[in-house]
Amino acid sequence: MILVIAEQKDGKLNRASWEAVAAAQQLAAGSMPVKLAVFGQSLSGVAGELAAAAVAEVMTVEHDALALYTPDAFVHVAAALIAQQSPQFVMLAHTYQTRDFAPTLAARLDRALVTDVVALRQFNGQPAFARPMFQGKLVADVVLDGPAPHLVSVQIGAFRADAVQKGSSAAPVTSAAIGIAAGVVRQTAEAPFQEAKQAVDLSQAERIVAVGRGIKSQENIAVAEQLAQAFGAELAASRPICDNGWLPMERQIGSSGQTVAPKLYVAVGISGAIQHLVGMKGSRTIVAINKDAEAPIFEIADYGITADLFEVAPALIAELKK
Amino acid sequence: MQRETLEVDILIVGGGPAGLSAALRLAQLQKQKGGEPLSIAVIEKAREAGAHQLSGALLDPSTLRELMPDFEAKGAPLACEVQQDNIYYLTPKSKLRLPITPPPFQNHGNYIISLNQFAKWLAAQVEAEGVDLFWGFAGQSVLFDGHRVTGVRTGDRGVGRDGQPRGMFEPGADIQAKVTIFADGVRGHLTKELMRTLQLGEYSQPAQFGIGVKELWEIPKDRLAPGTVIHTLGYPLRQEEFGGSWLYAMPDGQVSIGFVVGLDYKDPLLDPYSAFQRFKMHPFIAGILEGGQVMKYGAKALPEGGWNTQPRLFMDGGLIVGDAANFVNSMRLKGIHLAMRSGMLAAEAAFDAVRADDTSSARLQRYKTLVDESAIRTELYPVRNVHQAFSGGLYAGGMFAGLAMLTNGRLTGDLEGHAGHTRMKTLDHYYGMAKRDIISGSNAVTPDRKITFDKLTSVHYSGTHHEEDQPVHLLVHTDVCHTVCGDEYGHPCVRFCPANVYEMVDNGQGGRKLQINASNCVHCKTCDIMDPYGVITWVAPEGGEGPQYDGM
Repeated sequence: MILVIAEQKDGKLNRASWEAVAAAQQLAAGSMPVKLAVFGQSLSGVAGELAAAAVAEVMTVEHDALALYTPDAFVHVAAALIAQQSPQFVMLAHTYQTRDFAPTLAARLDRALVTDVVALRQFNGQPAFARPMFQGKLVADVVLDGPAPHLVSVQIGAFRADAVQKGSSAAPVTSAAIGIAAGVVRQTAEAPFQEAKQAVDLSQAERIVAVGRGIKSQENIAVAEQLAQAFGAELAASRPICDNGWLPMERQIGSSGQTVAPKLYVAVGISGAIQHLVGMKGSRTIVAINKDAEAPIFEIADYGITADLFEVAPALIAELKK
Repeated sequence: MQRETLEVDILIVGGGPAGLSAALRLAQLQKQKGGEPLSIAVIEKAREAGAHQLSGALLDPSTLRELMPDFEAKGAPLACEVQQDNIYYLTPKSKLRLPITPPPFQNHGNYIISLNQFAKWLAAQVEAEGVDLFWGFAGQSVLFDGHRVTGVRTGDRGVGRDGQPRGMFEPGADIQAKVTIFADGVRGHLTKELMRTLQLGEYSQPAQFGIGVKELWEIPKDRLAPGTVIHTLGYPLRQEEFGGSWLYAMPDGQVSIGFVVGLDYKDPLLDPYSAFQRFKMHPFIAGILEGGQVMKYGAKALPEGGWNTQPRLFMDGGLIVGDAANFVNSMRLKGIHLAMRSGMLAAEAAFDAVRADDTSSARLQRYKTLVDESAIRTELYPVRNVHQAFSGGLYAGGMFAGLAMLTNGRLTGDLEGHAGHTRMKTLDHYYGMAKRDIISGSNAVTPDRKITFDKLTSVHYSGTHHEEDQPVHLLVHTDVCHTVCGDEYGHPCVRFCPANVYEMVDNGQGGRKLQINASNCVHCKTCDIMDPYGVITWVAPEGGEGPQYDGM
């Protein structure tokens, strides 16, 4: 059995959890049941949403101590659930929350963990998990050793959420009874806050228009803004734009900003330094607009327009408005 | 503000070969001599063992053999023994093999290692002895009580770019120690503070440095036999510049390749990174690399001034070891064994001082005596003038080096050395007024993205990472960048930085302004050393950040 631990916040499912479900279904290949688990408070909505997938069961663990995330509570509950269910694999999306508690969970269980998996392969009849090494220069196929369960986190954007097989009817939702004794949780979580007002979560955006050095001046950001509006997309940027303060840092894509994998990524005046590419190469469809035909962005673009963005953008906006 | 404090007997700042050897030696002394156990802590700015360790590297195993005679049984990661030494003089298109390999370049009995892996292994040995290693803690400043060093304050976390605390602010801790051993590496920023505050360089020559730019390659397996060592002199450097290359072949087609440029060059337009790219384009080198791929990139300064540039090594409550004390033999291109030995000797002096409850400068001076009686002096003293002699150019330096070998260093009195950055010439001096137009372009190499790469791409392969929202950790103290530097030197920081940290960008008003891309920094310290005005200070960014030198 494969257990997927989904992630939610305030009753809203993290989109990346669907990617973990897709990966689990691919790994199971119909020969193993897949079960989903989600931890928190008031989970009926999220559980109902998850039950649409073709899985054996959706399990909820609800507890006051799970209302706000703490690593102690999550590790405790996950370890208890794994002991009850004895899965062969535990799969998670490689979110910030997973990064926070999955290593502890693996250490607590004394089981192997492979993180940031981008593909599933086979090696001598055993499942192998492909993960990038050396800043993405190499991909290693990792075969996990030791007793089950093996813990696997999947890179955001590596598996497609829309590849999740839906069930013919909703999967049963059960509530797993797992207590959390006093003293288990050593952290006191304060209410989450956003550092900046109007913060955006680009990783959840379906369409992104990203702007780079080619935009030349702050006044021209408006052009990109209009283009984003016309696409119904979030506006993002490569590093020089945020360095200049033309857009806030939270809109920066790349190795020192966010990693995104939207359905549509329109790169406007971005040459495609590798630091930017690693943050967006998982996007489904990449459109690049750049004057320089030699720009590396064209190597990964699905559609490339070699032209002045100040000519192309207004034309696109006009066309999109029709 | 409430700071946590931690009290230990001996604090070691820096988890490289010097610091870790000191820690291991302390643990050994504890076992041998018994008694009340001393509390020992090691702090290191890298997130994990070895992450900031970069070297060629050839290891002379002499110190390791003494520190840990059973190092082979304990699984020391020595990639392979050196099998064959080659030294070439490169011309732009061709190569001349030196008929004999000069003794300093003979590496029989030495090992090719990855310093990253070696430090990881050494750290595991230290941890097994029960010493506390704190990874991800950068020393921010030295704690003083008058002239006595009382410990180190670690860096704050969660400070925003504007200097204001962010949501997750956590003040640094004060680690108080009876003895602090500074193993903060080449141009260590705490050692620099000590030198300034306590005038430790008063009787030393100015330190001299080089910058090493390195890549780790994977090439077809049958191309070079593991254990092959190649050094080159000459192209693309000119006679007036000190430096050369290394290329070490390890098993499985792994190759360590790098280039060292003395940070005392005169040409303000020289770019060590570009020199390395040009070197790789030489037919001899390109032939070796062709069809392979680069795995990793990094850069680090290295001390080259030798024996006469060591600062005063001891003070009330403090000792300086390793690269921080400039213990490198620049003729043999080796310093790991000297760093380890200085760490061991400092451990011995510190251990006795703490036990005797006297950690004064007078008592800790014993460390200097031990160094003077040790193999460090035997190796470094005879060649103390060699690097200084190279300031007269490659031929003069080479001749002097030969004579120094023959006479075992008795040739002359001490030659005077100069801080390298003071030798850089202005554009007018170097090129003359007439040529101003010719030199306005960049001397960068157009990368082919197979063998040569632009700096930004290379930075990616250093694995370096810094939180963007924190104060810039490269302090530029004056505004020369926007006033005279462009005319005088043409912004050399843009070139000597191997990580694209310094950039002159359009200021929107027809001029240019300095932009510091601090998050690209690979902690090499070159800017702190080579800036001709001496106005750049490298300070530690948030602990746990910086390059990730796996396998380097």
